[in-house]
Amino acid sequence: MATMSIRVEFYGIPRSHAGVEFTTIEFEQDGILLGDVLSNLSQRFPNLAECIEADRLKPEYRASVDGDRFVSGRDEMLSAGSSLLIMSADAGG
Amino acid sequence: MNTAADQKPVPGYHGKYLRVDVSDGSQQQVPIPPQILRKYIGGVGLGTWLLLREDGAHQLPLAPSSVLAFIFSPLVGSSLTTSAKFAVVSKSPLTERLNDSLASSAFAIAGKRAGCDAIAIVGKAALPSILVIDGGQARLDPAGEVWGMTCGDAEAALRERYDIDFQIAVIGPAGERQVCYATISHDGRHAGRGGSGAVLGAKNIKAVVVRGSKSCEWAKPAELVSFAKELSKRSFGPATAKYRELGTATNLLLFNRLNTLPTRNFQQSSFEGAQRLAPETLSVAREHTRAYCAACTIGCEHIYSLNDGASDKRQGVRLEYENLFALGPLCGIDDPDIVLRASKLCDELGLDTISAGGTIAFAMECVERGVLDQPALRFGDGDALLNAIESIASREGFGDLLAEGSRRLAEHIGHDTINFAAQVKGLEIPGYEPRAMQTMALGFATGSRGADHNRSSAYEVDFSDQGDRRALTTDAVPLAIETEDNAAIMDSLIICKFLRGVFGDFYIEAAEMLNLVTGWNTTSEELHEVASRIADIKKLFNLRAGWTAAEDTLPQRFFESLSDDPAASLSREHLGAATQAYYAARGWTSKGRLRNEDSFGL
Repeated sequence: MATMSIRVEFYGIPRSHAGVEFTTIEFEQDGILLGDVLSNLSQRFPNLAECIEADRLKPEYRASVDGDRFVSGRDEMLSAGSSLLIMSADAGG
Repeated sequence: MNTAADQKPVPGYHGKYLRVDVSDGSQQQVPIPPQILRKYIGGVGLGTWLLLREDGAHQLPLAPSSVLAFIFSPLVGSSLTTSAKFAVVSKSPLTERLNDSLASSAFAIAGKRAGCDAIAIVGKAALPSILVIDGGQARLDPAGEVWGMTCGDAEAALRERYDIDFQIAVIGPAGERQVCYATISHDGRHAGRGGSGAVLGAKNIKAVVVRGSKSCEWAKPAELVSFAKELSKRSFGPATAKYRELGTATNLLLFNRLNTLPTRNFQQSSFEGAQRLAPETLSVAREHTRAYCAACTIGCEHIYSLNDGASDKRQGVRLEYENLFALGPLCGIDDPDIVLRASKLCDELGLDTISAGGTIAFAMECVERGVLDQPALRFGDGDALLNAIESIASREGFGDLLAEGSRRLAEHIGHDTINFAAQVKGLEIPGYEPRAMQTMALGFATGSRGADHNRSSAYEVDFSDQGDRRALTTDAVPLAIETEDNAAIMDSLIICKFLRGVFGDFYIEAAEMLNLVTGWNTTSEELHEVASRIADIKKLFNLRAGWTAAEDTLPQRFFESLSDDPAASLSREHLGAATQAYYAARGWTSKGRLRNEDSFGL
């Protein structure tokens, strides 16, 4: 099966901890679970431990698929080709 | 027989407000019954009650008979982090509805130590004056050479003139000339929205200078200190990291990505120059430091140098998301030096950055459409922006019309331009695109002071998995109300909203704070009732000021598609249905009125 991927974009504090603006996660299914993406990220970017606990985002952070839909459950299926945005929960300005 | 004035005040309060008539310098201490304090707490809640008691809803905002009040709160002076805050309440010259603005720092502490829970100012001084409140006694000093100075220069001059323990709130040239969105400034922070600076200017008061030595008792001082220590510890954690480490301006890139960044007077929702303006870019290229309000452990203020290299508090520029958005993308400006200079100009002249940027952006679109003959005002023209800001504060030339805000400017220009004047009730819309954040759209439409992201934080609902931010349904209504009620309690206690993420159950902890201060036995249920009561009393003020349900909507532009996010479509019918559901959930009539307007005893 061909290798598929999703793009992960970091904003605000998650970007500071990741040290990059975005990264790519590759996998060999049609989709990947949010929990598996977060586990992958926490292994590749140890400083993201401030934002990710095991396979979940800490309550102070949010995730959005393509900027259209906010997701939180670890069993949320993300489609190949989508973008996952990780940001602070508080949008106060 | 004891009178109310003889009774020992409730801990955390003085139980009275100082009322000063600056026409003749007369003053009186007006008792505030303990049951009123418990019903409205302080800040915006108590302030709205005070305005109604003084018949402020029926007065013209800039007439001598109008009232403007500085309101403190039971937590001020305690060791609770972020509690050094005050509210300024008046009828807004911009909206002619209730205006309640907040600012922070040592002025709140000094004002409360003057021995009152609020300072109410009525009348008009014969000459430009400084209102001095020293140990609970008020007097008027001539403003002299301070009249005409910028906010920063005036505060510095008054620090030289008065003893070091005085704290100072000033207006800038914009307030003196009664620009309808002029601010009141203290230590570089502003009670920003709605034009309270114009109200003070109309009273010929350049500054309020206050000191005192009257402390309040705390009901349970040892437990209060323990609670405060624990809260401070939590305030260093991840819930405030965004504000502490990056500041609110970090919203810019995220909002740009989400198509929620208002651009060129809300014609687009993303800006090609966002990366140049982002704090992540700015902090690489220039000096950057942080500052704190008094009694704050967060330190959310991020101060950037202009290209002259200065970054200290007096010379640098406090950069927040709202001034960045309003003076940058909203006006099509992508030059960070221009945005920083524009922001600093607004701060020095005493102008609300959101309304200044919003009104100028509206005028730029009018020029672009050929309905306004001001050829210099073009999107993206930095010099035009800076010149417009100067002209607003001086009310010279076209600036005299810009000084009235976008709604009145649209009424002057005609040609259906009111359809794209981005305001609600006359208050310019802050940096959240309503079509892409439709729970926020409801918050803007129903807001008591107009389009407002501080009294409703419904954007929290839009940025969550509780609904579809581009498809408003009535399911969002209780969630929007919850954010509005949370804000009502925070703004009345008063405590900074940037703390909200540190609380487990905010109402339980808010009740505990209040009980440690006052000795009451307030419950979280009682605080929910207080929040509803505050929404009701704000409505009462607006009803008396002439509010009708026709005001609870958005301009026509927001019922049309966004060019760069066609999926973000808001219908008038959906907003109307949500507004009706909002009225019902508040217990109001289908016309948005209170069912019993006499129940407040006011």
